[in-house]
Amino acid sequence: MQNAIHQLLDSANQIILGKPRQVRLALCCLLARGHLLIEDIPGVGKTTLAHTLAKLLGLNYQRIQFTSDILPADIIGSCVFDAKNHEFKFHPGPVFNQMVLADEINRATPKAQSALLEAMEERQVTVEGKTYPLPQPFFVIATQNPSHQIGTFPLPESQLDRFLMRIELGYPDHHAERQLLSGQSRHSLCESLPVQLPPEQLQDIQQAVTQVHVSAALLDYCQAIISFTRNSPEYHCGLSPRAGLALLTAAKAWAFMDQRDAAIPEDIQAVLAAVAGHRLRAGNTQSEAIVAPILANVAVH
Amino acid sequence: MKPELDKNILIFLLSSIGLIVLPHVYNIPLTIFGFFCLLFGWRFIGIWKQNWLPGKLVILLLAVIGIALLYNQHQGLFGLDAGTNLFIIALGLKLLEIKKERDLYLISYLAFIVASSQFLYEQSMLMAAYILLVCCVLLATLISINSSKVQIFGALKTAAIITAQSLPIAVALFILFPRIEAPRWMLFNEQPHARTGLSDSMEPGSISDLGVSEELVFRVKFAGAIPPSRQRYWRGPVLSYTDGKRWTQAAVQKPLGKPVVTGTPYQYTILMEPQDKNWVFALDMPQEFSSPLTLNADYQLTTSGRPDKRAEYKVTSYTNYKTGLINPSEYKAATQLPGEPSDKIKQLVSQLHGFDSPPDNFINQLLNHFRTEDFHYTLTPPLMEENPIESFLFKTHYGFCSHYASAFVYLMRTAHIPARVVTGYQGGEMNKVGDFLEIRQADAHAWAEVWLENQGWVRVDPTAAIAQERIEQEISANRQTAYYGIPTANIPAYNWLRKTRQLWSSVDYNWHRWVINYDNKSQSNFLSSFGINDIKSMIYGMIAFIAPIIAALCWFMLYQKPKTADKVLLIYNRFCKKLAKHGLLRGAGEGVKDFGERVKIKLPEQTANIDQITALFIKLRYGRVAAEEDFRQLKTLVGSFRV
Repeated sequence: MQNAIHQLLDSANQIILGKPRQVRLALCCLLARGHLLIEDIPGVGKTTLAHTLAKLLGLNYQRIQFTSDILPADIIGSCVFDAKNHEFKFHPGPVFNQMVLADEINRATPKAQSALLEAMEERQVTVEGKTYPLPQPFFVIATQNPSHQIGTFPLPESQLDRFLMRIELGYPDHHAERQLLSGQSRHSLCESLPVQLPPEQLQDIQQAVTQVHVSAALLDYCQAIISFTRNSPEYHCGLSPRAGLALLTAAKAWAFMDQRDAAIPEDIQAVLAAVAGHRLRAGNTQSEAIVAPILANVAVH
Repeated sequence: MKPELDKNILIFLLSSIGLIVLPHVYNIPLTIFGFFCLLFGWRFIGIWKQNWLPGKLVILLLAVIGIALLYNQHQGLFGLDAGTNLFIIALGLKLLEIKKERDLYLISYLAFIVASSQFLYEQSMLMAAYILLVCCVLLATLISINSSKVQIFGALKTAAIITAQSLPIAVALFILFPRIEAPRWMLFNEQPHARTGLSDSMEPGSISDLGVSEELVFRVKFAGAIPPSRQRYWRGPVLSYTDGKRWTQAAVQKPLGKPVVTGTPYQYTILMEPQDKNWVFALDMPQEFSSPLTLNADYQLTTSGRPDKRAEYKVTSYTNYKTGLINPSEYKAATQLPGEPSDKIKQLVSQLHGFDSPPDNFINQLLNHFRTEDFHYTLTPPLMEENPIESFLFKTHYGFCSHYASAFVYLMRTAHIPARVVTGYQGGEMNKVGDFLEIRQADAHAWAEVWLENQGWVRVDPTAAIAQERIEQEISANRQTAYYGIPTANIPAYNWLRKTRQLWSSVDYNWHRWVINYDNKSQSNFLSSFGINDIKSMIYGMIAFIAPIIAALCWFMLYQKPKTADKVLLIYNRFCKKLAKHGLLRGAGEGVKDFGERVKIKLPEQTANIDQITALFIKLRYGRVAAEEDFRQLKTLVGSFRV
């Protein structure tokens, strides 16, 4: 399993150049059964990352482009009258896929946003009194433009909380950019990718991640971080219990990817920026800077 | 202030203020106290009936009334009493004006001032304890104002802890803080408070019931031997002039020479309780004493200090003395008679050979007369309005010391022997706990002094002739047996009670001696015993005293790390310490793995050891199962780790 993870990361890094950490975090998020939010300016590879992961994991993939006039029915599907059978028939929307890329989620109205976010949370869709389960595994990778751009509805804090992680991609460095410019088109590279981790194996890994040991000492550290965010004047509002759980889940996945059966403080530190950044300061994309005081001040014992 | 809390806080605050102002009922005029009670009660009812509270105009009116009351009492705002009353009225008025949390604080601080003003009137230990207690309650109120939830017992507990913590600081400040005598003008409007005590005149015939007051007059602590009770005559005013009924002091000139003293010197310290007169009751005959004491023409000690404050004097006395010659003014005063003695008196004097034998023979005859004839000692003599001496000598035969002393002196003077009445105290009860004598009002006594050639003034106590036990008993409890006929000394409960009283009295004595009387003089004495002779070095001393405490506190607060009971962590910390010696400090938020990686770069030769230690620590601390074996291995690895 570890081998498969390793190969997967290698392949992904061939496509997404110079962003091994972001790729690793994105995979970690998927292994922890979390949804991922990628926040950055257009054109830095958000969609490519999602597409690559879907390909490597062999998941059926659907992209929903969010626009300001998109309706909930466009996402979850709708009932259409079937003249032949004289009944309404449910036509599942694009959300009924194992991996959904919600592109530019903050361009849509809050109504459309919340339709997707409900589906994310419940992992099922209810239309006209009937409940339809979503496929397993189910991931949403949402991308978001920085909220200062024109025509955006920034996600409120309560909905940001639904995403296990938020990552920023950022510009590639000089060397990676050169490679990118001189290489083949990413799209065609992506199409030719083999499946590295089939869905059954992914589910096994997800199961194994939950078995990663969390010691009392680690819980102490986790609680110290939570109480620091609640008491420090740095933060307007501290981490919620759900954020605490998310932090532990992500840390466990990170430990698993690091081939350990027990999580250590470094795992928490590694995922902290991605897990806590958007929960502590929604409008700010500088996650590393947001959590820097925590890393500096909360003692590891 | 949270509206749902004010009721509880107000009740708490008002109760503590009530406790604080209550003892002032003895010190401030009743009108002022009544006015405060009115304001206080008004506010108390206002807790439940918000609408009943006065508006701005009424408060203004009340303030005017308060000022008028103050002015009426003191004609101004200067002086101790006026100041205290002002604070109490201000406190009462402010109570009616609680609007914001700030007002609660202001009231609390005012209440602290009022609480401390109690010490201007009474400085007893009980009062100090009481004030400490109510301040504790007030502190608890302050804590409640600041806490989100009013928990009376929790607040009281915290307040008690704060008070206990502040006591050592208070003691240090008490001992070390420079003591400044209050300037005289600050006290100029202070009215002297009337106190009971020995008076400067005596009229035995007009008293039919001498109360036995147990009020303390003074205490005496002897440096060495203590004279027996029959020699313990504490000299007060000498009464020479009489109009037949009343005896008063007469102005006399200074004696011709100083008394010649022999025998044992008795060194002692007198601690006078506050009194009206500036008399100091010394053991007959005081020989060595220092300023502010002076000896007057009657060999009585007086002080130029303030008699209404407790004061301590060091005196040396000799019980064997000869005063020598008598001067003309003394002679004139000591032989003065209101008129020609009656025939009956003359007859008695000649019958006792007053006119035809030496004075000492006549004295003995007279004392014998008291002893053998039907004379009785009583504290409840019949009234003798007319001719008290004759009535006593020939009719009633019942009297106490003043009757005997005055009759004795009168008869002496009839026989042309210079004599006078001396008042003062006699005996005193030994406090076995504190090892000092207590002289109470009940020990007040009057005796006679006769001038004899070659001896000078000689003390004759006619009361001793009639009531031996009055003079010789060591303990006043037994003396009371003579008064009332109840052998109280045999009752165990009484003994126990007496012991308790002595114990308390001893504690009280030490309180006064060491706490109340600790003035700038005793402070400088105390400090000079530590080699501190002036304010400057004292300030250095204080800094030397406080600086280490503050430094220790700072160190404690800055470097105190959470104590860990985890054995694994302790061992890992030892590993960190070894690395820290070489400048490899682990950051507060640095995980062990990251730290290990960082250290490995600096110490490449130790890579294997560091990896092993880090892995073992992670396994033991964060891992699923920890084996005892791993722990031992970590211990040895860390133990043998060398940089």
